[in-house]
This record gives sequence, structure tokens and C-alpha cells, in this order.
Amino acid sequence: MKRSHQETYLEQQEAPSVAEYGKKLEGSSVGGGDDNIDELLAALGYKVRSSDMADVANKLEQLEMVLSNDVVGSSNSFLNDTVHYNPSDLSGWAQTMLSGLSYYPDLDPTRVCDLRPITNDDESCCSSNSSNKRIRLGPWCDSVSSESTRSVVLIEETGIRLVQALVACAEAVQQENLSLADALVKRVGSLAASQAGAMGKVATYFAEALARRIYRIHPSSAAVDPSFEELLQMNFYDSSPYLKFAHFTANQAILEAVTMARGVHVIDLGLNQGMQWPALMQALALRPGGPPSFRLTGVGAPSNREGIQELGWKLAQLAQAVGVEFEFNALTTERLPDLEPDMFETRPESETLVVNSVFELHPVLAQPGSIEKLLATVKAVKPSIVTVVEQEANHNGVVFLDRFNEALHYYSSLFDSLEDSVVIPGQDRVMSEVYLGRQILNVVAAEGIDRVERHETLDQWRRRMGTAGFDPVNLGYDAFKQASLLLALFGGGDGYRVEENDGSLMLAWQTKPLVAASAWKLAAELRR
Amino acid sequence: MSEKRIGIVEKSNNKRQRVTQDRPEFSINDHHDVLLEILRRLDGPSLCSAACVCRLWSAVARNDSIWEELCFQQVSPRPSLSLRSVVSALGGYRCLYFLCIRPVLARLPKLLWTRDQLQLSLSLYCVHYYERLYVGAWIGDAPPSSLMFLRKPVNVV
Repeated sequence: MKRSHQETYLEQQEAPSVAEYGKKLEGSSVGGGDDNIDELLAALGYKVRSSDMADVANKLEQLEMVLSNDVVGSSNSFLNDTVHYNPSDLSGWAQTMLSGLSYYPDLDPTRVCDLRPITNDDESCCSSNSSNKRIRLGPWCDSVSSESTRSVVLIEETGIRLVQALVACAEAVQQENLSLADALVKRVGSLAASQAGAMGKVATYFAEALARRIYRIHPSSAAVDPSFEELLQMNFYDSSPYLKFAHFTANQAILEAVTMARGVHVIDLGLNQGMQWPALMQALALRPGGPPSFRLTGVGAPSNREGIQELGWKLAQLAQAVGVEFEFNALTTERLPDLEPDMFETRPESETLVVNSVFELHPVLAQPGSIEKLLATVKAVKPSIVTVVEQEANHNGVVFLDRFNEALHYYSSLFDSLEDSVVIPGQDRVMSEVYLGRQILNVVAAEGIDRVERHETLDQWRRRMGTAGFDPVNLGYDAFKQASLLLALFGGGDGYRVEENDGSLMLAWQTKPLVAASAWKLAAELRR
Repeated sequence: MSEKRIGIVEKSNNKRQRVTQDRPEFSINDHHDVLLEILRRLDGPSLCSAACVCRLWSAVARNDSIWEELCFQQVSPRPSLSLRSVVSALGGYRCLYFLCIRPVLARLPKLLWTRDQLQLSLSLYCVHYYERLYVGAWIGDAPPSSLMFLRKPVNVV
């Protein structure tokens, strides 16, 4: 029996009601024999067992999702040309449709939609099963980033209203309807206060950011106390794996590039607390054949000159302890593109040069033309390897609403990951949230030069690096192994994953990539 | 040095008689090097128990070579001498074991202990050393610790 247009229409009509009916059936404790064919559906000509209801509803929901997201060309021919046998067997039909459309659902029961009845009870939302507290963002976000969420998720009802209010408020801001936005942001605030878990916290930060945007209170980055900033960053390093992943992966790439070198010179574009370099020095100290001499040029802000000098001294102490010849230079500059190649005092005949940037490139995008100048400077010093770690997100789009949606999705995942790892004591988690909250404020509320959190995806960075004259370097299996081991130590119920992406590594939380690490060398024709 | 012992001897007429006997007494506590060799061959939990027996044993157990042996029990080939100097500079094998290796093994009990895991533990240990160096006198009660994530047990839901 060929599938007719009328049947298509009927199926699309059927899907939500079957799903709802399935939920009602699950919720009610009506016994009924498990072998009984459902009477109501039988009247329509579909044979579905009552015990299979939930499964069928699940499949139909996935099918609807896939059909609405799928590229038009390929699926149309499939829909029109396939012959289906016995379409009254709804379960089997849905299964063949799904496998035919090359959709591999992630049928992990903790991730697929949970077909409990959605009620207004707080207890069902805050039940002891912590996977319920996980933020699930539904179809609204798929249109923005369809590749990142392959698993089907349901929004809990109290979370739905919150997300809808946030998006509505952002839309109002986008359309410059500030009075409506103001009313909505107050509503979001009250909803967020009553929402438990990570969703509530994220929503609170986004609501504050929207309020700042509406009232034009732009947070300027200079107003922050640098020692507080340092405290937050140190805390974020200690309590979550993101910075550790960044440092360890970059170090591994550097180690592999300098195996034969007698002298290593590392230029760190953002020294901060220098937490990356002890591990590298220790690994260099244990290199078979003896350690090379290690020179570090750290770049920082002019206001922090004494801090950087002290940091250099502490690193020197460590270097002496592990037996590595060490030299430290501090370079202070207000903005990275102001750096000139001769400031680095490179010694190409005796040193292998490495340039390292961990979350330092994206602020440079705030001024047009700066990133090209910076990359040209990096190219001019002729490094053997350039390691780049950046957030994997597109928070630099032109349209505010798109940025907002992306950021909401991204930071929800980040907050979720902090929530789930019970390793962190509560106070430290709050500090990590404050650290991330400041980024949220910048992405949403700031504009122009002030907006420094201009994250871009790995593909976008690849294009930039390619245009600037760099070729990618594969990060290799050792880096992958080390990253996997590190993440295994962090627990979080296996939520953290390392993914390999064309030679680069990405740290993902529940399949959503959050941080991307890559390595680059000068393009072939530019190398000596 | 021998001690007098009261022993029971069976005599030919099936009577038992108490006699004082001269027996050379070997006390392990008199021979620290032998004690060291024995402790060196223990596994982690046994070694920790042994270190709690008495003050003498605790002092002997502080010898870093015992802990070095413990750290490298399953790793082969044996690491080089330079590793020993690095680790002693960073605080010694005993601290390495307690701060890094034992929590890692507890967190991942099925882990095959190879050079990679050891290298990672060393890196974490080094970061910890540096952080203590850097932080120094930190304001507030609890100084930050990069090994915090290893300390507390994870609630696996």
C-alpha cells in the first residue's frame, strides 16, 4: 500500500494526540490487560498494544522532530517512494521511517523524553532523580543549533514558562519594544526565583543581563577588581575541568612539538595565574635526554605588572625545584594587537618558539581588524606551534536574538555541568557561577568595544587561522587519552566527554561541545 | 641480646616441667633496615595500617623509598632517577601517594595503572605544589586547592 498524502496528514495530526494519550495512559493507574489492543486507536485502524503506547508515542515524537528538521530534498523522495507494509502496525512503521531517514536516536533512557505525566506538582519536578533537574531545551533551540542536540528532550512544564518568557523578552529587546521587555523581564525574574536547580540560576543571570540591556547599564570590563577576578578564575580552575582540559591539552601539543628542541620559548598571550606552566615544566624535566632550557614570556595587563613579576619569580622557584633552566619575561600591554614582533626578543637559532592562547583570542574580535593584526604578529615571530583553546559557541552573531538563544543554550549546559558534579562544595560552585555570570552579562548586555566575550565556533576559528596563513596540527591520541582520563576523574556521572573533531579536541557536556582545543603551525610555504 | 624465657618442656616421664631457656630473641624493632625492606613490599592499605602501629614504625614508614616502591608497583619499566629528584622536590612520594595516586585509584578502581595515569598524577601534583607556592598566605579560611576535585567522594546517581 503506497503512502498517500492523506495518510501523511493523518499521521501528523495523530502524533501529538497519541503522545498525549500515551502520557495519560502512563499516568493513570488503569490496569487493563497488557495484551489488549487499544480500543480507541483500533477504531481508527491502528493496532497498538496498551503496553507499547509509550514506546510508540516516543517514536512518533522523534519522527515528527526529524521530519520538521530534516533537509527537504532527501526526505521527500524517501517519503514518496517507499512502500510500507501493514501501516496499521504503528510501532513497526514508525521504526522503519526513523531508520530509513538515517536518524539514529540516542535511546539512552536517561536522555530520551521521559513520558511521565507533566503535572503542576512541585514534587514531581524536584524528585530525587537528579536527571530530572537537568536542563532540557526543546525544539525551539534545535532551529538554532540542530547538530548539537541529537537526543530528543522534553521541557519540564515549570521550565517551559521560564524559557518562553526569556525568549519573549529577548525578542522584545530585539524589536526595541522596551516597555514590553521591561514587563517581561520582571516576570522572568519572579519565575526564575521559584525555579530550583541550574535552570533557575541561569535564568536569573540572563534576566539581570536583559535588565541591564534594557536600562542601558553597560558593565565595563575595567570596573572589576583584578584580585577578585583572579580569585574567581582560580576557583573556576579548581572546581571544574574546563581550564584543566585546556591547559593539559595545549601542553601535550607543545610537548609533542618540542621533543627535539634544546631550548623552548613559550609566549603566553594571557598569563593570568600561570597555572598552565608548572605541569609543562615538570613534563620537560622528565623528558628522556634531559630537559631543555625553558623561557616564558607572559603577556598581561599593565595594571598588574608587579603581580606578573611575582608570578615569574614563583615559577622560577618551581623550575629550580624540578631542575629546569628557566627564564621569565613579562610583557604588559593594554590590548593584544598592540604587540609587535620585536617585543618578544626571539632567538630563532637556539630556541623553538611556541605561542599559546587559552581563551585570549575572542576578546580581540571586539575591534574590527585587530584579530588580523594579532595573527600577523604571531606569524611574524615564526612559531613552531600555536595552541588555541576557545569556547565552542557562536556568541558573535550580528543579530541579538540569535546570540541570546545561543548563549542561553551554552550557559545552561555549563551551569548544568557544575550542578551535576557533586564534587564541588556549594560555596565554590557559587563562585564558579559568578565567574560564568559575568560572561553572561557581557554577552547579553554589552555592545561595541565593551562586549569582549565574542566567542566563536571552532569552524569559524579554523577559517580565520587558515586565512591568516596557518595549517592545522592534529592533536594526537596521547592528548585524547590524557583528556579522557582527566575527565573520568571529575565524575559528574560520565557527563563529560572528549570528542575528536578533525584533529582537534572538544570537551562536551552531555553531547554539547563547550570548549575546543586546536593546534596550528605556519602554512607550508611560509616555513623556512 | 638474648632474653630468658620460661618454656614448657616435656620430660620423659610424661610430666611437664617449667624450665628457663636461653633463646636468642629477634625483635624486628631492633632492625630498622629489615623492617624497611618488609614495609617496602606491602600494598597501600597494609602500609597505611603498618604506619599506625607505633611511633617507631611510623617513623620508619616515613621513608620515601617505601612510598616510591608503592607508587611504581605496577608500572614498568621503572622510571629514571631524574623522576626521583623531581618528585622529592615537589614534596616526596608519600605526599604524591596520598594526594594524587590514592584518590585517583579510589575514583577509578578498575583503572589499569600505567605510565599515563602516573604522568597525569604527577602533573596534578606539580600544579598543586605551584598553587601552594603561588597562593602563599591566602586571605580567607580555606586556600584554593586544585586537587579539590579528587578529595570528596562523588555521588553517583
